[in-house]
Amino acid sequence: MEDIVNARCHGLDIGFHLSNNLLNDGPDWLSAEHSTGTSIMAVEFDGGVVIGADSRTTTGAYIANRVTDKLTRITDHIYCCRSGSAADTQAIADIVAYQLSFYEMELEEPPSVKTAASVFREFCYSYRDSLTAGIICAGWDKRDGGQVYCIPLGGMLVRQPFTIGGSGSTYVYGFVDANYKPDFDKEACVNFVSNTLALAMSRDGSSGGVIRLGIITKDGIERRVIKGKEVPRFFEG
Amino acid sequence: MSILTYNGGVVIAMKGKECVAIAADRRLGVQGQLICTNFNRIFEMGPNLYLGLPGLATDTATVAQRLKFRLNLYELRENRRIRPKTFSAVVSNLLYERRFGPYFVEPVIAGLDPKTNEPYICNMDLIGCPNEPEDFVVCGTCVEQAYGMCESLWEPNLEPDDLFETISQALVNAFDRDALSGWGGIVYIIEKDKVTVKELKTRMD
Repeated sequence: MEDIVNARCHGLDIGFHLSNNLLNDGPDWLSAEHSTGTSIMAVEFDGGVVIGADSRTTTGAYIANRVTDKLTRITDHIYCCRSGSAADTQAIADIVAYQLSFYEMELEEPPSVKTAASVFREFCYSYRDSLTAGIICAGWDKRDGGQVYCIPLGGMLVRQPFTIGGSGSTYVYGFVDANYKPDFDKEACVNFVSNTLALAMSRDGSSGGVIRLGIITKDGIERRVIKGKEVPRFFEG
Repeated sequence: MSILTYNGGVVIAMKGKECVAIAADRRLGVQGQLICTNFNRIFEMGPNLYLGLPGLATDTATVAQRLKFRLNLYELRENRRIRPKTFSAVVSNLLYERRFGPYFVEPVIAGLDPKTNEPYICNMDLIGCPNEPEDFVVCGTCVEQAYGMCESLWEPNLEPDDLFETISQALVNAFDRDALSGWGGIVYIIEKDKVTVKELKTRMD
């Protein structure tokens, strides 16, 4: 109680300019970790996958970056959606991309999505006590076509026809379960992802900004951005 | 997470030429989750006197009600409208009565003196320390962003229409950088003969 009162009283703030004091008593975003409290998802279709994410990075409640790109390239045909600690997920994605480029050189063929997801899983499971990373690994390969793998916090690996992740995903489980159909084509997937992410961004404080989409097929990735008025709007009280 | 940031929200008030403006966001949340987008944190306490109460939502409602009670008794006894400066003292007293178990609100007061029509703004911490500057006041979860916006946009002697633009831009661009405020805005422009209320169309994320 005293801490809250002391921290918020005008009268007691005279002369306290020490940086240490600011880290302890100042706004929490001066000391909080960067987090992509987030909404991410990926959906398979015949011929590829559609991946999507919001664009907000927060430190505490401050929006540090409102145009973040959470869809990170691993190879030309494999991308990952990052949620959790921004530092952890960036580091993991860099390491996985590095290891897979080696793999490609040695095997003289592009790695499969399953392999990429397995490398993610190895890392996330081995260092599970030190990391905060919820990752969706999705892409296209010649053997199995479009695939979506989700690797949540403890380092599990599971392939799913579609998956949602991040703090905003909790608000849209009902929506995706009610609206998913297995025979979606590419544009139907894009609409499904846009509507889902728009709903999650509306309800979750840690998600927002623009909707970034990626459509991965045998021809590589086609990136789209949905911003401003084009973002779907639903009931807003 | 601090108890003052549990529900989120921000209120700004600014002085203009023979007018004042007070504006707030409309979000009510529970930590990260949005609950509704039409929450009222600005209350009318007199024809030209408005009170904004950012902070814990339950205390917002309670403090507004208890203050209205004290205000009604004042107006019955004195048989006149309360002056903003006096009202400020009433608010401060109510909050300091709870010095060691405070209400988790940080009031923002904006109004015109009933006799001289002089603009008045004031903000307080949660135990009632008043601050009565000549330019603008902010309270809520994005104070740092709001201070930056107000400091750069405000200038003295703004006409009511210009004051509306200024306070709206300051509010919206401040809460667009805060995960716990936003989802709509409402602005009250208080002039000597009328009060204009405008709702702002903002990004809803």
